[in-house]
Amino acid sequence: MALKILAVDDSKTIRMIVKKAFKAYDCKVLEAADGKEGLETASREKPDLIVLDITMPVMSGPEMLTELKKDPALKEIPVIMLTAESGKENVVQILKMGVKDYIVKPFKGAQLIERVTKVVTLESKQKEDEDTSKKYFSTVEDVQILALPQKLDRPVSVDIERHFKSKVEEMVSSGIKKFILDMSKVGGTNVTLIKLIIMVIQTCRQASIGIRIVGTAALSEELKGFAETSEITVDLSIEDAKGAL
Amino acid sequence: MSDINAVDLRGFISGAMTEVFDTMLSMDIEPADGGEQADVDGERIVGSVGFAGKAVGSVNIQVNEAFARSITAAMLGMEEDEIEGDEEVHDAIGELSNMVGGDLKSRLCDGGLDCELSIPSIITGSDFRTEIKGWERHERLIFRHQEQFALVDVYMKTNG
Repeated sequence: MALKILAVDDSKTIRMIVKKAFKAYDCKVLEAADGKEGLETASREKPDLIVLDITMPVMSGPEMLTELKKDPALKEIPVIMLTAESGKENVVQILKMGVKDYIVKPFKGAQLIERVTKVVTLESKQKEDEDTSKKYFSTVEDVQILALPQKLDRPVSVDIERHFKSKVEEMVSSGIKKFILDMSKVGGTNVTLIKLIIMVIQTCRQASIGIRIVGTAALSEELKGFAETSEITVDLSIEDAKGAL
Repeated sequence: MSDINAVDLRGFISGAMTEVFDTMLSMDIEPADGGEQADVDGERIVGSVGFAGKAVGSVNIQVNEAFARSITAAMLGMEEDEIEGDEEVHDAIGELSNMVGGDLKSRLCDGGLDCELSIPSIITGSDFRTEIKGWERHERLIFRHQEQFALVDVYMKTNG
């Protein structure tokens, strides 16, 4: 069962960074914007761990922690404090509050995960990883196909890029030399898409893999509007692309 | 260090800015000698945090809109065209000032100038200036990342 992590911080930016840090793990990250909201969410959801900011409006982190410790149903939930203040007195005060650990901002997601794994056991999303790979990649005869989804945002692109690199390694070791980037479902261009296309083309070329791109006529026109992709030839069907490889 | 004139404000702010940009944004910044207010032009965003106690003051980080969007995208690990709106940008700049202000506050406390930090606030606009009145110290530092500038003002005085 997925672990529940509650991120309590008035900054949406920090909550997003925390959420991203846990993305590779089997966790459900809940969010609260202040201590009061945090207490309500903790009572309702009984999280396995709370990542708690100190300075917040409405109810601060220390105030929330005090309330948490008074509640027999919540007092055992481990808490990791996030603080922008690394001063000696501040650190001593935090540790006296009965928290499991603390992290001083600025921090990297990896540092947060390192601290969290000392408190709870995180499971990687391996199965989901395999499913994601199957969602985008398929092999037809001697051709590896990457079919991009309709909407390509940064997290999806990062995910695809990670799988793509291991697919290329598999292709090289198994002798597959043909690759099709199928963009026929893509709804429109954006910077993330352009960067992904360039990365795929360059990686294939470096690995001596033949690559063709499939897309609609409208997408082909849009790609001409970007300097990086203006020279790319787009095939209108997988069959056309296979024939050209 | 309980005398505020002995506080190495420039050193503390430089260290904090460099660390925050490196850790949270993976961006290199360097002090820009000779930089001026004019380097941060157009629509500007100022993230501020105050501190109050034995020492009173504020840390204000000012960037233009374009740099603010670059900072936000880097902090959130996304492309600039994925930023949903001003709220995200303001939150990221507020958090930036919170981290830099938090570092300074910690150093002041460690040096005997105990104080508390406020939550961050944001000012936006293109036609405003800050008047310096009644502060015992004011330091202005300018940092450069490629062709973008961040201007940091720190105001400070002893309480009472």
